[in-house]
Amino acid sequence: MKNFISMTLNGRQRDDAVPGNMLLVDFLRETVGMTGTKIGCDGGECGCCTVLIAGKPRHACLTLAASCDGTDIETIESLETGGRLSAIQRGFHEKLGAQCGFCTPGMVMAAEGLLRENANPSEDEIRQGMAANICRCTGYVKIIESVQAAAEEIASKESAA
Amino acid sequence: MNETTPIDPEKIEPVKSIGVPMPLVDGPEKVSGKANYTADFLEHGALVGRILRSPVAHAEILSIDTSAAETLPGVEAVATGADFVGQFGVLPIARTEWPIARDRVRYRGEPIAAVAAIDVETAQKALDLIEFEYVELPAYFTAEDAIAEGVTPLHEKRPNNVERHVDYDLGEVDKGFEEAELVCEGTYDCAEVCQVQTEPHAAMAAYDGERDRLTVHASTQVPYYVHLMLEQTLGMPKSRIRVIKPHIGGGFGSRTECLHVELIASALARKCNGTVRIILSREETFVTHRGRPEQNTTLKMGMSKDGRITAVDTTTTQRGGAYAGYGTVTILYSGSMVFALYDIQNARYNGYRVLTNTPPCGAFRGHGTVNVRFAFESLMDEMATKLGLDPFEVRRKNLLKAPTFTANDLMVNSYGLPECLDIVEKASGWKDRKGKLAPFRGLGIACSHYVSGASKPVNWTGEPHATVNIKLDFDGSLTILTGAPEIGQGSSTILTQCVAEVLGLDVTRIRILTSDSLVTPKDNGAYSSRVTYMVGNAAIDAATNLKAILVEAAARKMDVQPEDVECLGEVYRAGSQDQGLTFEEVVVAALEGTGTITARGNFDTIPESWGGDKYRGAAIGGSMAFSYAAQVVEIEIDPDTADIRVEKVWVAHDCGKALNPLAVEGQIEGSVWMGMGQAMTEETRYHKGLGITGNMLDYRVPTIIESPPIETHIVESIDPHGPFGAKEAGEASLAGFLPALTNAIADALDIRVSELPITPDRLMEIMEEKKKAARKNADQKVSA
Amino acid sequence: MELMPDFVLHRPTSIEEAVKLRNETDGALYVAGGTDMIVNVRRGIEQPAALIDLSVVSELREIVEDDEGLHIGAGVTLETVSQDTRVLKHFTAVAEAAAAVAGPTHQAYGTVGGNLCLDTRCLFYNQSEWWRKSNDYCLKKNGTVCHVAPGGKHCFAAFSGDVAPAALVHNAEVDLVGPNGRRRVPLADIYHNDGMDHLAFEPGELLAVLHLPKSEASMPSAYEKARVRGSIDFPLAGAAVWVKQSGDKIEELRIALTAVNPYPHLIKGLEKFSGTELNDGALDEIAEMVQSQAKPMLTTTVKPWYRRRVIGAIARRLTKQLSNTT
Ligand SMILES: Cc1cc2nc3c(=O)[nH]c(=O)nc-3n(C[C@H](O)[C@H](O)[C@H](O)COP(=O)(O)OP(=O)(O)OC[C@H]3O[C@@H](n4cnc5c(N)ncnc54)[C@H](O)[C@@H]3O)c2cc1C
Ligand code: SF4
Ligand code: FES
Ligand code: FES
Repeated sequence: MKNFISMTLNGRQRDDAVPGNMLLVDFLRETVGMTGTKIGCDGGECGCCTVLIAGKPRHACLTLAASCDGTDIETIESLETGGRLSAIQRGFHEKLGAQCGFCTPGMVMAAEGLLRENANPSEDEIRQGMAANICRCTGYVKIIESVQAAAEEIASKESAA
Repeated sequence: MNETTPIDPEKIEPVKSIGVPMPLVDGPEKVSGKANYTADFLEHGALVGRILRSPVAHAEILSIDTSAAETLPGVEAVATGADFVGQFGVLPIARTEWPIARDRVRYRGEPIAAVAAIDVETAQKALDLIEFEYVELPAYFTAEDAIAEGVTPLHEKRPNNVERHVDYDLGEVDKGFEEAELVCEGTYDCAEVCQVQTEPHAAMAAYDGERDRLTVHASTQVPYYVHLMLEQTLGMPKSRIRVIKPHIGGGFGSRTECLHVELIASALARKCNGTVRIILSREETFVTHRGRPEQNTTLKMGMSKDGRITAVDTTTTQRGGAYAGYGTVTILYSGSMVFALYDIQNARYNGYRVLTNTPPCGAFRGHGTVNVRFAFESLMDEMATKLGLDPFEVRRKNLLKAPTFTANDLMVNSYGLPECLDIVEKASGWKDRKGKLAPFRGLGIACSHYVSGASKPVNWTGEPHATVNIKLDFDGSLTILTGAPEIGQGSSTILTQCVAEVLGLDVTRIRILTSDSLVTPKDNGAYSSRVTYMVGNAAIDAATNLKAILVEAAARKMDVQPEDVECLGEVYRAGSQDQGLTFEEVVVAALEGTGTITARGNFDTIPESWGGDKYRGAAIGGSMAFSYAAQVVEIEIDPDTADIRVEKVWVAHDCGKALNPLAVEGQIEGSVWMGMGQAMTEETRYHKGLGITGNMLDYRVPTIIESPPIETHIVESIDPHGPFGAKEAGEASLAGFLPALTNAIADALDIRVSELPITPDRLMEIMEEKKKAARKNADQKVSA
Repeated sequence: MELMPDFVLHRPTSIEEAVKLRNETDGALYVAGGTDMIVNVRRGIEQPAALIDLSVVSELREIVEDDEGLHIGAGVTLETVSQDTRVLKHFTAVAEAAAAVAGPTHQAYGTVGGNLCLDTRCLFYNQSEWWRKSNDYCLKKNGTVCHVAPGGKHCFAAFSGDVAPAALVHNAEVDLVGPNGRRRVPLADIYHNDGMDHLAFEPGELLAVLHLPKSEASMPSAYEKARVRGSIDFPLAGAAVWVKQSGDKIEELRIALTAVNPYPHLIKGLEKFSGTELNDGALDEIAEMVQSQAKPMLTTTVKPWYRRRVIGAIARRLTKQLSNTT
């Protein structure tokens, strides 16, 4: 049996019929074709699949697509504006918060969720906020620096505006 | 460059790329989700491949009946061991593994059949229909059990289940012990660990029946091995195979060998004349394993009064798993590297690589060196304490003096370890703080090293070690074509920087295409930290050759001698008053008459670096250069919970020359941190051979919460043969963490930890034992 | 594409509808945040024919405050609970426990109800279908032996939710809604000492509200868990402590444990400390009592010996922290 769902995905409204047992991560990757969201584990353990639902980070691998009816979903593909990287993406790029890049979409979305709630997090708040995401390359040192750089860039842009 | 801007020759100079911290050339794709990893190729009509795995650890296969599966609607192909013509294995001397088991299964989780179907549900249904009949054989889950008297061999050719015994006896070991002030022996155990790169293994194979051609996308560190093993196991000519390595979500050695997944996907694709995608689960990725073996090491060391090591005798055993894999190399590395960090002339070694009914081990970052380094640096530290010597001084007493050859003939031309020691001693405040910290706090130090590529490749073909092509075309664009796999370590960035530096151009002018056997030159792959050193040198060679062509063309055009042409990157001129030619003008001149240019560069190792022949296998360990590292770890222990908190790590790493200091820092931080995982939380465990930690909750990769700040210092010893003096940066710093941690525990608690990972339950047990012993002692004193 | 068992998803908007669907649909189960249920479904541990998604039942997402106390809807997220100033102030242990669950992302959508109704956990159970089948399954699901205690007929899978012990020390109650209506019971009463069947629910009952009574509020409470990593890990052992004191004497002390028994366990026999001073001797005795009532088995990679040891140490430390005498 399929469920009819209507959602906003990266700012665009769309309607779909999805099987009740389909995971959001499969819906995004295989049905929509947005493969930026990654799968790194068998469920809830790595954070690679983190997306924002109603502005809050969530594991797409533990979320049923059919339960997303009426929600607003944002994935890594939504962040660039005018073909340019967002402040968080730039932070991860320039500070080497991404090595192999596989954890990166999830990390960036977790950081996005964090900075929307707390624009100026302390190092400890960054650690607490990113603690559901595993990275195997960086030792997290440069991930923390990336988020800090992004927070600074956002702040300086805002004070300029 | 804008054509209308007049060039001011005064201001033109070659752009510097080397030594400049810069972000990765493929960073924008990665941070935007555009980078395609193997699982991200959504081929229309691609079938889902799925693998049936053995439920038993060791058994004779009686039959694998796939008939019901084959007739299930939606199933396009079913494969078994019979679909392959040869075995695979990374070492030409030890190709013992079938892509899908034949005759026998040797570990729980070994593939026994596979299907390709229209969707995952159908594929699973088909697997459920396959009947597997077998007779169980005795299974061995520890090295000790596997080599006991009267065991059933896993492989006929290895009647004692010893895959390889390595031994050497260099100098005068017994005399060394006799001359020592203090001789100590210790036994050290390291649990098996797994790479757990974040990307699970995946492969996509497309077979073109009309042309008999196979195209494989694989999450591999060495596409070349995949290519060879496809030929070997499928019996297809190499020339009909194309291997593409897309973006890779880390490897750390787990993908240095060709894996089943690539071979099985290909066999299925060929069988059904279609495209088959197999994405392994995290659990299957754990089962595929190729991690660092469980290893037990007994080390005996002699030390003079002033801290000189007079002799070392090492006996070590690795539980290698069910197949040879890299086994022989791993056990040889342990031997060649255990003492060669220091100036030690008397060394004995007995290494045993044992076959067991567990998933095969492989080459994990710091290949072969990590567990013996833990033993060595621990015992050295303990003996220093016993002799009342400072741990730094003991290490300084035993330093090599480069250029030199070690007792096992390893060539050492650059040796930045003394500076590494000085730096971390100062940065950590060692002299003022050591021994004066609050209770339950401690400081520990250890050193480590690693090769910059193995001087002899596994597959000796007579080709150069590395080849890089640079294509220059009418549009002035430069494209580096290299087989060197970018796996997240940043090799594409480094190669781009090397080429940019030689040509004096900005890196943004240069593009790089990696690892597609259709267009890029063959490369031996991303393992043993060879890429920067070897492929970097080849890239410099290619760029130098290209530059010569450009200078020649510019000379022709300006009607001067090539020697008189000055290359300033964007401008080539003859004499400082000259307006010169723009790079574009030079390109036009260069292409005149020849068309598109491809400049080639090669690199080869020199025979002095081949590691000598003092014992069988002595070539393993031979390298053009070694990197060195020292680190200090500071900890605090919670006496109630036995939780260890790493407060800070100071690390100094001699990477010869930091071609890209940002990337070098990233590599060092990642290594130190990975060492922390092995030392503190990570461990694969088995229940009767069934991996019981095959998920990321029970296998505990550290989270951001407990990961410490790491203060990284780069030491540049400028290696005479390295690309711009560079050496390895991504492995050496791993091994040091383990003993630096346990040495810090010794400082905090006066307890020597010899079993890793030191999880809170293990530490609490040792703390309790110590308390009990102290009480007993006190009681005895009272009663005496 | 991940392999998922076939099931249909229902999305009721009221409690009544949810309970009705759950009871009228064969093989139906509730799912809230899904952070435990979907993992279990993916592993074939649960094979529901239908899931009743509680995420759009708005009355489950409310926190109501009245004279009686705080009434937290089962669908309120752990993040909300951990940040709610009233919970933080009056039911500190509950806020601390919610903040200690898994990682921040899990807390952002994992719910209080899901946490209280969490399945018990065991190394031999929280594994894939292939794994469990290769290991001949176990008593808790499809099998005939327990791999932890092979002789017995008992399952020792550990209840490993963080919030339950914290709510228990606050004498929490819950509302259960079933086909026959709503009933209110002490939280302690919804658990059995049985790893296979640890929830004492009537068939199809839904946990609707967690009541935290005000009379109990403002007494200091705290929660702490032992785990190997600083995040994500389930508790190896967790303890919540609540004390009421007059001067430097204990009036009443409550301690509850998680992850060391098949159910969240309220320590028995603590009345004996009423009227006594909280000195080192008493603390040692408390630690011993806690240790003797904790019955961890080899259900995690970490040794039971340690979990027992550390739960005593944690309970002792928290009690000491909360007491006036220090
Ligand atoms: C990697 C990882 C780490 C974790 N670590 C922890 C941890 O440290 N501590 C911890 O406590 N938990 C942990 N969890 C488990 C889980 O995230 C939390 O327990 C969470 O609170 C569960 O809530 P949920 O809403 O997601 O529950 P669900 O998964 O939706 O449901 C869990 C169970 O409760 C039942 N249920 C849910 N709501 C109701 C209701 N209203 N009435 C009746 N039954 C109901 C469901 O049927 C199901 O059986 C972890 C999970 C993962 C994936
Ligand atoms: S305790 Fe025994 S019966 Fe219970 S889940 Fe574990 S193995 Fe199964
Ligand atoms: S894929 Fe690992 S948490 Fe979702
Ligand atoms: S960058 Fe590779 S896992 Fe994080």
